[in-house]
Order: sequence, then structure tokens, then C-alpha cells
Amino acid sequence: MTTTSRAHWWLGLALLAACGGMAAVFQSPRRALAAMPRPAEDRNVLRIAYTQYLVPDPHRRSFPMSPQNQFTLSLWEPLVECDPATGQPLPAAAQSWAWSADGLTLTLKLRPDARWSNGDLVTAQDFVRGWRRLLRQPMELAQNLFPLRNAEACYRGQLSDPSEMGVKAVDDLTLRLELDRPRSTMVAELADPLFAPLHQDSEQVIAEASYFAHPERLVTNGPFQLERAGDNGYRLKASAHYHGHEQVRLAGASFVRAGGAWSATLMLAAGVVDVVSPTPWEEVDMPTRRPVRRETELVLGVSTIGFNVTRGPLRDVRVRQALALALDRSGPIGRFNPGRMIPAWSWVPDMPGRKGLVLLKEDADEARRLLAEAGYPSGRGLPVLHMALPLWMKSDPYPPVWAERWFRELGVRTHLIYEPVAESAKRMTAAGDYDLLYGTIVATVPDAGDLMSGFLWSGEYSETKWVDPEVIGLLAGANTKTGAERLALLEKAERRIIANVPAVPVMFERRQSMLADEVQGWYEDPLARQSLKRLWLAQGPAPSLSPERDL
Amino acid sequence: MNGRDNSAPVKDTLWHRRGFWAAIWLAGTLVLIGVLGWDAWPWLSGSPEAAFRDTKLNEWPVEVIWWLLAPGILWLQSSLTRLDRHWPWAVGLHSLMAVFITGLFIILQACRMLVANHLPASFLPVLLNDLRWMGGWSYLPALVYVTLILALYAAGYYREWRAGLRLTGVLQLANAQLETRLVRASLDALKMQLHPHFLFNTLNSITSLIRNGRTQEAEEIVAGLGELLRRSLEHRQEAKETLEHELEFLHHYLEIESIRFQDRLEVEFDIAPQCRPALVPSLMLQPLVENAMKHGISKDPAARRLRIAAARDGTRLILTVYNDGPALPKDDAAMSRGIGVQNTITRLGMLYGDTARLWLRDQPPHGVRAEIIIPFETNPL
Repeated sequence: MTTTSRAHWWLGLALLAACGGMAAVFQSPRRALAAMPRPAEDRNVLRIAYTQYLVPDPHRRSFPMSPQNQFTLSLWEPLVECDPATGQPLPAAAQSWAWSADGLTLTLKLRPDARWSNGDLVTAQDFVRGWRRLLRQPMELAQNLFPLRNAEACYRGQLSDPSEMGVKAVDDLTLRLELDRPRSTMVAELADPLFAPLHQDSEQVIAEASYFAHPERLVTNGPFQLERAGDNGYRLKASAHYHGHEQVRLAGASFVRAGGAWSATLMLAAGVVDVVSPTPWEEVDMPTRRPVRRETELVLGVSTIGFNVTRGPLRDVRVRQALALALDRSGPIGRFNPGRMIPAWSWVPDMPGRKGLVLLKEDADEARRLLAEAGYPSGRGLPVLHMALPLWMKSDPYPPVWAERWFRELGVRTHLIYEPVAESAKRMTAAGDYDLLYGTIVATVPDAGDLMSGFLWSGEYSETKWVDPEVIGLLAGANTKTGAERLALLEKAERRIIANVPAVPVMFERRQSMLADEVQGWYEDPLARQSLKRLWLAQGPAPSLSPERDL
Repeated sequence: MNGRDNSAPVKDTLWHRRGFWAAIWLAGTLVLIGVLGWDAWPWLSGSPEAAFRDTKLNEWPVEVIWWLLAPGILWLQSSLTRLDRHWPWAVGLHSLMAVFITGLFIILQACRMLVANHLPASFLPVLLNDLRWMGGWSYLPALVYVTLILALYAAGYYREWRAGLRLTGVLQLANAQLETRLVRASLDALKMQLHPHFLFNTLNSITSLIRNGRTQEAEEIVAGLGELLRRSLEHRQEAKETLEHELEFLHHYLEIESIRFQDRLEVEFDIAPQCRPALVPSLMLQPLVENAMKHGISKDPAARRLRIAAARDGTRLILTVYNDGPALPKDDAAMSRGIGVQNTITRLGMLYGDTARLWLRDQPPHGVRAEIIIPFETNPL
């Protein structure tokens, strides 16, 4: 055959038509589409998109994102919750608490009307059961219990009997915590979803994941209970046995799985979900006219560059100060994450009840002077600094920019070492083979001391290896105090940390959420623990009390 | 060998039947549909617990689409390969196909996101648009398609090259066979020249005998000639004969000649026994003997000896025909123009190329010797 057949003509025409059609679809402008009406079954149900791993288990979590906190706190109620405005603990499953005179024993009284979703009384033993299970989880989760007496010894196997841990059920409604040393933030720490109680029937249900087939078997004590679990997400309904049931305005909540943050945003626009948190910071041209609004809040955390103060020139505080002074924070942030990241001028950001300080500056001339004074004019004689980074941070644009800045301003060369997490961790912990670190510390308590607690650790646990008795004394002293006295001690500790530069704060982060306009009662929470029992939908039942009212 | 025999064997194995591959593809498609349907059944039946995201429909789109497109791609490539004088068609259609498949995959990606995220169909253009600025438009399918097509073309050309090699071999064989037939035809033609030459001489002899009243001898010659022709006809289809057969033929010929020469002729055979089964060109000795009779013995009344010898020298067979007649004339050209010698030289060249030789030289003090050297061959057992 040496000529084209009719089939080729038709095929050519069909392909041309198909490609033309595709091009037309691809190039079609984003139009103001109609959002889907809310289904009748979701009339008073708040729908929240989530993108990360979500599982109904209070003692498992990856990174504490908003949906995960909201999901767990909807199903389980810890002993306390933190006031988002002041950071102070409020009663939740516990109605009151009292410290012993030496500050080492905390006794909590549980609500007599607290009930599990099956009607059983929530007892102190349920909390003991839950915390013993938490102790069997990986280190990064179990370590939240380490302030309790013997908890770390039990975790490390030095004590075999978990009843040796400093948590006791005195009676059904009395829980006693025994601490190794005073810790004034302990009550606030109990608001962490990890400190949830566990019903005696639920441990097996969680272990076997039988809640998929029998959601009613997952017995929980929160304002909501599991109604349905599936691969698409979870549906909760208000628990009739919750002690504050009358004040819960939502009939239920639906956690809908999304393919990613961008997909979740489109789901919000389409009317599939009502809340997306966090959302991308890029300006998104919403394809529908559904009224949505953005809410932002400061994340209670700080990104820092740490220095291994036990190695080479970094033992000299002037070298560390020079590196800190030579940084440029605003430039890279403006290029990469405008709006989302904020230059950090202190170790602790603004937080409930405490305004952030301004303790840092940028001064390249002073940095050059200090480096020359330390014996390294224009970086001459200074060995190449090794910055250890886990491989997943390779897409993070900041470390290369700072390395370039140090080279340009100070002549300091930096080698970025990207390794798998396990290798990187080994380099940082066992080998100590690094000069610089980059990472983010996130608080689990709305307290300035929590972000500085790393400096309470011995050199073995400290990544910067910096051990300063004065800072340890200040932080330990702050743990015995509350209120203004505590804040004053924390400020002294923070100033000393900044002056000695074992690490330099570089950025704070803001979290953005997008909400459908009908979502009411949303509030800022630096720990992303917005409680769904405080929210309602505009078209739902009229609120009977203000969201600030104690639930 | 007829024309069909000359061509490459027609491939009709299972692997080369389109129906077989179509059945495989159909069966695979049915299995695929079954597996996908079975896996996605909870989602298709509307179970609230089931998610499209976790179905094979969502996880296997690349594999499924390539499988479904495979027959079309193969057909297009196969049919366009034959458009040897219309390569712009091939380039154009393959380019369009690459664009189409790439677009198809992008749309498929958008559709998967649409379904997985419970978005309405009206969001398809939005997804396509946003995928672009998010870098979600993958051009990998176009690359895969072009690579696949190039590989198919390469495989096709390789097959053609191999087929060409086979065809060349077949043609070479056919050519050799044709050449053999031509040689055989030439030999036959030469032999046909020998027969009239010999017949002419013999008939002249018979005529002379009858004129001289020697009718009895004439009758013997006619009888001998008849036997000679019969044997000659028996051998016509063969290019080579054993020396044994050739000598028998020569005996009959010399019987005729001896009648002509009336006992003046003394014939001597010196044949090594191992040379008797050797293959020699048929009717090759007879012209040389005839020459010896005509230009040697018949020219000199004193000449009477004719000696025919055969010996083996390693891989060579040496045949000699000697007569004690007069020496060769000075005019070599006259000698070389003899039909018998010329034909013998031609035949030797056709059958043995440069490995055969024919010398015709004086043998002092009297006589002429013709010597033929050919490769020593025997009939394979």
C-alpha cells in the first residue's frame, strides 16, 4: 500500500477534532460556576476537609494539624481545654483541680455528669487506661507523659509495672498526678488530645479498626460520637450522653478526605465542604460565587537555625552571633512565602497573654566585625560548616538562601547535607556530626516556656549541645511560678538564650483557614484546636448562648 | 524449483495471526473490566464507606488507558509504516495521536480528581485550568508514545532487514541453481556440437569404405556407431561421468577408428585402477583421441601408436592422450581453432574454473601429447 487509505483521512480528522475539542476545554476560562446545594442530610452538619492521615485513635498522630485536633477533640474530651484568648486551662472532663504545696502532686476532680457515648460514667480509671496506652506509643508521643513520675523509666523498660507511673485513680472521680519536679504548665498540657481517656471496650475496637463495620462500638466521651467510618472520611453525630449536649449546636460533623490542599479549596468552592484548614497561601480565584472567608492565626512555633556549640569555631559565641546577624529574613520570605511566614525577632512569638519581644537584629557590618574579631576575617580560616537536613526538606528554599547569604556577606562556606530521616537523625543524635541544624519547634501548650523547654534538657538530648545552668535555673524556676512571675523568668531566659545564640530564630508561621460564610463561631487558636462544639452553621438552629460561654 | 519454492516461507504460526492477538487483547480487556468492576463494586453501588480514591479505577488509569489504546496504536503504526511514499502522513498522524493521548491523560487526571474529591462535572474545566498552573499537565504520555512508536519502527525495520537477508540467501541459491542449469544447457549444446562433428567424420569413413568395396567393415562401423550413439544418448543428461564409462565409450569409438585404419592402429591404455571411478567431463576424451587420429596418426603412415593414460597426483587427476604422429604445426592458432580442443577448453573452464588445465605439446622424439589436469572427484557414496 503506497497511498493513504480512507481510514487515515477519517482518523486524522477525528484526531484533529478531538485535539481541538480538548484545546477548547483546556483554554476555557474559569467561570463563576454554581456551588452544589447542601444535601438535606448535611443540613446542620459541619463538613471539614482533611488531607493528611486521620484515624479515630487519640494516641496516634503524625503532625498535629487542625482537622486531626478537631476530629480527636470532637470524639474525646481531655481533662481540660485551653482558653484560646488567654491560654489558661478551662474545665472539660475535669471540673476542678488542685496542686499540692510542693507543686509535685496534682489532684483533679472529674465531672460527675461526664458520660461515655454508651452512657457509662467517665471515670478516673479510664484516663489511667488511656495514658498507659499512650506510654506504649512511639517516643515522640509517649514523651508527653515524661513529666509524670516514673513515666520515662516505664517507657525505657527500667520499670516493668506501668502502675509505677505517676497517675493514679483515687476513686471514680478523682485522678492524682505525681510529678518528678514542679511544672506549672502541667494542667494546660493536659488539654493535648493525646491525654484523652479510653473506654475499656474501645482499645480492642481501635486495635482491630472494627469501627469501620461497627462505628457504634467506638465508645467516646466527646461532644460527638462516630456515626460512620469509611475510606472517604468519617461522619460524626452529636453525642446524646455528652454532659454539654444541650449546648452543642451542630447535629454532626463530617470529615471529608481531599486529595490535597488545592483540591480541598475547590471542594469548598463547590459546596462539598465548609472548612479547609490549612489552605494554600497563594491567591486562589474561586470558581464559584459561594461566599467564603479566610481566617488566619499565628502558629505557636518557631523555625530556627541551631549551632552545634561543641564543634570548632562555633564554640565561639562571636562566630555564632556573626552568623545570626548576617541573616536576611524578610527578603527570602517575601520571595517564597509572603504572608505565611513572618521574620522572627525573638524566640517566642506573640501568644495568648504574652506579646513577642524584639531581641534580634540584622547587621552584616557588625557580623563581619565579630567574625574578624574571632579570628576569621572574611571567613578566612573558617572550616566549611555542615548543615544536616532530612531529605524531605530538599524542597525547602530557605537553607540554600541562607548559605548563600553567609558566603556573600561573611565568606563562610556551608555544605548542606540532605540525608534520609534515619541517617540524618543518627548524624544529629549518635554521631553529633554536624555544625548547623534547621528545624521548627511547635508548642503543645500555649506557653512561652514550652518553646524553650529544649534548653532544660541535658546536652545528651539537646541538639545544640548547649547547656547553660543559668537558663536551666530560670526555666526550672518559672515552672514553679504562674502568672507575671513566670513570664518575667521566661523573659530572662529568652534574653539569655538570644544573647548566647545556641540557635537563632528565623521565622514564625501563620496558619490560614478558609470557611464558608455560614460557619459561625470560628476563633483563633494558636494550637489549631478549634472545638466543634463551639461552632454552628448560620442556617442551623439559632445559637442559644455565646461561643465564649463555658461548655 | 518453482516460484513458490524460491520465496521465503509464508509465516502462518499462531504468533503471526492477528486474530490470536485480538483474542488475547479482548480476553485481557474482559479480565480487566472484571477486576476493575469487582474492585470498585462497593463504590459503584453507592456504599458510603467506599471511596473512589482507593479503587483500582483510580490507581490503574495509566495501565488501563495504554492497554485500551494498544490495538489502535499498533494498527496506526503498522498501517503508516506501509505509507512509504507518504511519510508526512505518518509524522502528522503520529503527532496528532501523541497530542491526543497526552490530552486524554490530562483529562483523565482531572476526572479522577473530580470524582475522588466529590466535585461536580462542571468543575472539569476548572480542574484542567488549575492543573496547568500547578504543573499538573504531564507531557510524559507524549514522550512514552513517541518512544513506543520509534521502538516499533525500529523493530519493523529490523524485521525487514532480517527478511531481506533471508531473501538475499534465497536469491543467491536460486541464482546458483540457474547458473548450474545454464552450464548444463551449455554443456548439452557443446555435446550436440561434438556429435555432428564425430558423425560427419565417421560417415565420411563409412562412405569411403563402401566406395572401396569394404562393405563388411562399413557394416561393422555402422553397428559400432549405433552402439556409440546409444551410449552417448544415455549420458547426455550428465555433465560428468566416471572415467570407467568414458573409457567404455572410447573403446567403441576406437573400434570404429581401428576399422578405418585397418590394423595399423595400436591402442594402449594405461589407467591406474584408483582412477577408474574418478569423475571426468562426459565425452571429454573422445575429441582429444579424435584429434590424435585426425592430426597425428592419419597424417603419418608410420605412425600407429595411440596411448591413453590416467594417473592420480594427490588431489589432481591427470589424463593424457599420446600419438606418435607428426609434431604440432607451427601455427598454434590453426591448432587452437579445432572445434574439439576449443570445446574441451570451454567445458573445462565451465566445470572447474581455474583449477583445470589442458596442454597440447610435442613429445620428442616423435608424437604429440595432450594432457588434461582436473580435480580428482568421485561420486559421493
